Amino acid sequence: MLTESARMSTAHEAGFRIQEPNSKQRSIKVIALDPASAVLVDQIAKDGWSGASFFTSLSFATQKNPDSASDSSVQAWLNDLAGRALDLMSEVSACDFVVVVTCAGEDARAVTIIADACALYHKSLVSLVVPQEGMSEQDVEISLKHLRPHSRMLVVAQGIDYIEVMLSALRAG
Amino acid sequence: MLKKEQNDYITQTGPGTPMGELFRCYWLPVLLSEELPEPDCPPVRVKILSERMVAFRDTEGKLGLIDEFCAHRGPSLWFGRNEECGLRCPYHGWKFDVNGQCVEVPSEPVESGYAKKIKLKSYPLIEKGGVLWTYMGPPERRPPEPEYEFCAVPLKQTYSSKRLQECNWLQAMEGGIDSSHVSFLHRGDLHNDPLFKGAAGNKYNLGDLSPVFEVVESPGGLLIGARRNAEDDQYYWRITPFVMPCYTGVPPRGDHPMHGHFWVPIDDHSCWAWSYDYHPTRDLTDDEVAAMKDGKGVHVKNIPGTYIPLANKTNDYLMDRAAQKAGRTFSGIAGIGMQDASLQESMGPVCDRTKENLVGTDNGIIMARHRLMRAAKALAEKGTIPPGVDVEHQKVRQAALLLKRDVPYAEGAKEALKAKKGVRQTSV
Repeated sequence: MLTESARMSTAHEAGFRIQEPNSKQRSIKVIALDPASAVLVDQIAKDGWSGASFFTSLSFATQKNPDSASDSSVQAWLNDLAGRALDLMSEVSACDFVVVVTCAGEDARAVTIIADACALYHKSLVSLVVPQEGMSEQDVEISLKHLRPHSRMLVVAQGIDYIEVMLSALRAG
Repeated sequence: MLKKEQNDYITQTGPGTPMGELFRCYWLPVLLSEELPEPDCPPVRVKILSERMVAFRDTEGKLGLIDEFCAHRGPSLWFGRNEECGLRCPYHGWKFDVNGQCVEVPSEPVESGYAKKIKLKSYPLIEKGGVLWTYMGPPERRPPEPEYEFCAVPLKQTYSSKRLQECNWLQAMEGGIDSSHVSFLHRGDLHNDPLFKGAAGNKYNLGDLSPVFEVVESPGGLLIGARRNAEDDQYYWRITPFVMPCYTGVPPRGDHPMHGHFWVPIDDHSCWAWSYDYHPTRDLTDDEVAAMKDGKGVHVKNIPGTYIPLANKTNDYLMDRAAQKAGRTFSGIAGIGMQDASLQESMGPVCDRTKENLVGTDNGIIMARHRLMRAAKALAEKGTIPPGVDVEHQKVRQAALLLKRDVPYAEGAKEALKAKKGVRQTSV
């Protein structure tokens, strides 16, 4: 007689897996950290993602860059594709995780504010660096250096298609 | 998550499938040298990429890998007589050489030339590093012989084993890319396994259960770096190379031999899990080899005379709930290899990826799938040779090292990730 492990790992038994959904709709915030990646984010958003919201810039209430988003003197907003400014903290608190996108060599320091918001609400931050044509390894490293202290996962993605693949894999579609 | 059609695309490796064509660009391990130990030894059945063959070593020591079935009326040549530079079917005496060419049809006059018109499909079979490798693609695209370091060092410095795993190749290989499971599934073994224990780096694995991952594309596939906090403003990095289509290297521990895997599809519901261990600068010790043969480290104890694990689904993997409860093992299964295989086989013959819920730290797996599918598509549409075929892509090493926090690992580990003859591994 077959053991239970032997019986239950057959193709026949695989057909009895419960077909009901095993998770709720995902909510992912995709944020461009610089103008170059904003173009990419805008392009990706056009495909229509029910589980992802896209933001092309971050702005602050103060003139100079604050040290932390949790600093009570600071307010930060994410600007979406329709041009609306949405409160960063509210957006982060309501999502499952945050994906930031930067193009290699661009200024990615805005990640600090977003990372603080993620830390406050215990959300994972995934950072994607997209090398641009003509950029060197050093440019990629500069981006990684900004992102590394803040990211749970750091990926150097060779092109925009990887970002779409990742969002599909994470059920943002 | 993958859609069904994507899952089918990436998991199916039979003839004519896009992923099957990708696999056919590479040299793949098929047998251990010990399976064809001497000239005129018994033939061995081989099934990979959903093709059935037999392998044999002829009278002159030449290796052959040919269609399993006699061209006459189809009995298996596993029953064949390996004699006088050929494999003779015992049914009617038809004989085939190592290239599948029929050299004798006893019932027909030699002068008729009938035998010359009969040829079984055959693939080249070469021996390197104690392993027999085959290439199943078009002869005109045959790549240079493999140069993974484990098969390039002297034989006394390397040890390979294989085991049957009864699930699709991809869900097995993804375990090698996803190192985040080590801190859970394998946590009991870092202290106890003779091929892991005692390394200074182990304390970082046990002290930081939330590694942070960095994934970058490499020429042959991916580099997956896992970093954990260390003292003195440093990070402890463990860097896993993935070389397409199915090779991974596990970052080393101390001066223990380095190990890793290949997962070679037998068909869409089973694969061979190959495990290698090697040291770049010294012979393996007798104790190390004994441990490997005893199923320690990444190796597994097989049923004697077979490559089927002793702990398998027919005995519930020798599950020990008391050990699980006591914390001696995390899943109740003993041994790293079977800890992985039991869970991967339980996913079903082909994991239904439409139901998975990946998280950000699964980006290594997400990118590996993407790289594979992209390469298969480029091959199918443009004939582009995929990453990993170039032998320079295979000369990569895994590494474990401490780096100051502001040093990027791709920079700090650049030399450590290159296989260099006579240079020891970078390890903690």
